[in-house]
Amino acid sequence: MTKWLQQREVVVLALLVALIAVIGVINNSFLEPKSLLSMLNTSLILMLLATGEMFVILTRGIDVSVGAMMGLAAVVLGLALNAGMSLWLAIPLTLLVGLALGAINGVGVAVVRIPPIIMTLGALGVYRGAMLILTGGSWIETIPQSIKTLAGMKVFEVSVFAIATLLIILLTTFLLRRIRQARYFYYVGDNEDGAFMLGIPVRPTQTVAYALSGLFAGTAAVIFVGQIGFVPMQTGYGQELNAIAAGVLGGINLSGGVGTPISALIGALFLTVINSALVFLKVPAFWNNAIAGAILLIVVLIDFRVRVAVEARQRQQRAHVRHETSATIQPLLSPEEAS
Amino acid sequence: MKVLKPLLRWELFLVVLLGVEMMVFGALNRRFLNLENLLYSSSDFAHIMLAALPLTLVIITGGIDISIAAVMGLASIVLGVTWQAGVDVYTALLLALLVGVVAGTLNGLLVANTDINPLVITLGTLFLFSGLATALAGSLGAAGYEGISGLPRVFTQLAHGAVGPVPYTLIFVIILVLIYSVLLHKTRFGRALYLIGANVQAARFSGVPVKSTIVGAYALSSLGGAMAGAMLTAYFTSARSDLGSDALLPTITAVVLGGASILGGSGTIIGAFVAVLILGYLKQGLLALGVTSDVSQVVIGLLLILVVVLRYWAADINQLRRNRRALQGRIEPEGGDLATRHAP
Repeated sequence: MTKWLQQREVVVLALLVALIAVIGVINNSFLEPKSLLSMLNTSLILMLLATGEMFVILTRGIDVSVGAMMGLAAVVLGLALNAGMSLWLAIPLTLLVGLALGAINGVGVAVVRIPPIIMTLGALGVYRGAMLILTGGSWIETIPQSIKTLAGMKVFEVSVFAIATLLIILLTTFLLRRIRQARYFYYVGDNEDGAFMLGIPVRPTQTVAYALSGLFAGTAAVIFVGQIGFVPMQTGYGQELNAIAAGVLGGINLSGGVGTPISALIGALFLTVINSALVFLKVPAFWNNAIAGAILLIVVLIDFRVRVAVEARQRQQRAHVRHETSATIQPLLSPEEAS
Repeated sequence: MKVLKPLLRWELFLVVLLGVEMMVFGALNRRFLNLENLLYSSSDFAHIMLAALPLTLVIITGGIDISIAAVMGLASIVLGVTWQAGVDVYTALLLALLVGVVAGTLNGLLVANTDINPLVITLGTLFLFSGLATALAGSLGAAGYEGISGLPRVFTQLAHGAVGPVPYTLIFVIILVLIYSVLLHKTRFGRALYLIGANVQAARFSGVPVKSTIVGAYALSSLGGAMAGAMLTAYFTSARSDLGSDALLPTITAVVLGGASILGGSGTIIGAFVAVLILGYLKQGLLALGVTSDVSQVVIGLLLILVVVLRYWAADINQLRRNRRALQGRIEPEGGDLATRHAP
C-alpha cells in the first residue's frame, strides 16, 4: 500500500516538474531563482493549510473552516501586535488561538458526534462573524514593523518563513512515520470500527486531528500577517476549498487513511505554479480556476482508472492462485496454525 | 401514539420554529410583522430557495454538489454574453438554463461512473465552472464590477415584478416546491433517490437504475443553480461571473437544517423550503433590530450546530425509550443493543 501511495506522489511530482520545465522552455525567466522563490513564498500559506487539513481528512472527516480559522487567528495576531504585545508572545498566542478553534471543531465532531461538514460549516460562520465583531469590520493596518522584518529575513536568499514551513512539513512527515500514536490518524480513517475494536482511542484521535488543523491554520496566519503586513476582512476567504483541492491533487484520499504532508506540499506547489505560469505564458489570468479545476479532475480520474486496473489484475492473480491450490488440494492451515 | 406521530415530524418542528421566530421578531419590532413587507423581502433569498430545493435531491442520494454556486455565475454570464451578442433575452435565458443542465449532467456522469467522492468531483467542477465563467467574462471585457448591464426591462421585471403583494419569484418557487415534492414523494425516480441514499448496493441489486437516477439528481441540482443565477441577474439587473459565489454555504445550511441527512437516505423538499424561510427571515429580523450581518452570521452558524445536535439527541432518546419498552416486552426490539444486553 505504501508503495502505491508513494507512486501517486511521485506521479504528481513528475507532472509538476514537467509543467515547470515546459513553461521554462517557453519563457526562460520562469526558471530564474527569483521567480521560483517567489512562487515558493506564495505557496507557503496553502501548504500549511493543506497539511492541517490532511490530518482531518486522514480520519475521514472534512474541515471547511480552515480559512476562517486562519482569518480569525490573523485578526488576533494583528490586534495583539497593535496593542503593543511583543512578537515572541504574540506568535504563540496566535498558534494557541488556532489550536483552540480547531479543538472546538474536534470536540463537536468527536464527542458531540455532529457530522464534520455540518460542524465545520457552522464554525465557519461563527469564526468569520467573530472576526468581523472583533475588528468592527475594518481592516487591521499599521501593524508594527517587527513581524514584517521577520518576514523579510533571508538565509541564502530563501526567506525564513519558507525554511520554517518546509522544516515543519518535513518534521510532520517524520513524526507521522515514527510515532506510533501518529499512525492512529491512518487507522481511524481507514476503518473506524476496526480501530475501535483494537483499542485505539478513536474519539481523542479525531479531536486531535481537528485541533492540529487549527494549529496549522494559526501558523498560516502568522505567515499571512508577516507577508501582507495588514489584515483585510477577506483573509482566508475561500482558502478551505483551495486547501482541500491541493491535498487531493497531491494524493490525499477523501475517503480517509491515505496521504502524507508531502502530498499537501506538492499539491499546494502545483496550484501555485498553475496560477503563476499563466502570467509567464501571457495567458490572461482569468483562466486560472478553469485550468486548476480541469487538472484536478484529470488527476483524480487517472487515479481512478489506474486503481481499477490494478484491482482487476490483483483479482485475476488471486483467482489464478486459488485455482492452482484447489487442484493440489492443500489444507489452508495446518492443525497447529488453526488452533 | 400513532396519531401523534406525524406531529412529531421534523418539518412540523421547523414550522413551529418559524412561527416562534416570527412572534419574537414581531414582539421586538412592531413593523416586522407586515405581510406585504415579508412577502416582498423574500426576493432577497429567492436564489437560495431555487438552489436548495433540488440540492436536497442530491443530498438524499448521499452525494453533495458544491459546484452550484459556480453554476450560478456561469449561467449569469452565459445569459449576459448571448444577450449582448444579439440573441433575444428569453432564448438567452433558455440557453443559460441549458448550460446548467449540461454542467449538472457532467457532474452526474462523473459521480455515477466512478467511486470518486462527490465532494472531490464537484470541487473540481466548481473550479472549472467558475473559471470558465471568469474566462468568458474576461475575454469579452465584462470582468469588472459592472458586468453586463442594460438588460431589457421585461427580463429584470421577472425578479422585481409581483402579482399584488406576491413577487413572481415566490410564486415560481412555490410551484417548484410542488413539482419537486411530487417528483420526490410520488414517483419511481423519487423512491430511487431515497433507496440509493440508504443503501446503494441494495438499490443496484433490486434493479434500480442507479446511474441514470444519480445523473438526473445532479442535472436538476445544477438546473436549480442556473435558475438561481438567472434570477440573481434579473435582481441585480446585470450579468456577472461572480454572482452567487457566497450562496454555497447558506444553501447547504438550509438543506441540512431542512432535515436532509448529509449521509443520505432522508430529507424532504418542504423541510428545505421552510428552512430557507427560517434562515432568510432570521437574517432580516436581526438586521431590523440593528444587529449587523456579522453577528447574524454567528447566530446562523450556532443555530445550524445546535439544531443538528438537538436532532441527534432526540433520535438517541427516542431509541432509548424504544429499547426500554422493548425490555418490558411491550413492543418488538428494534436496532439498539440495550435490549439484547439485558435479555435473560
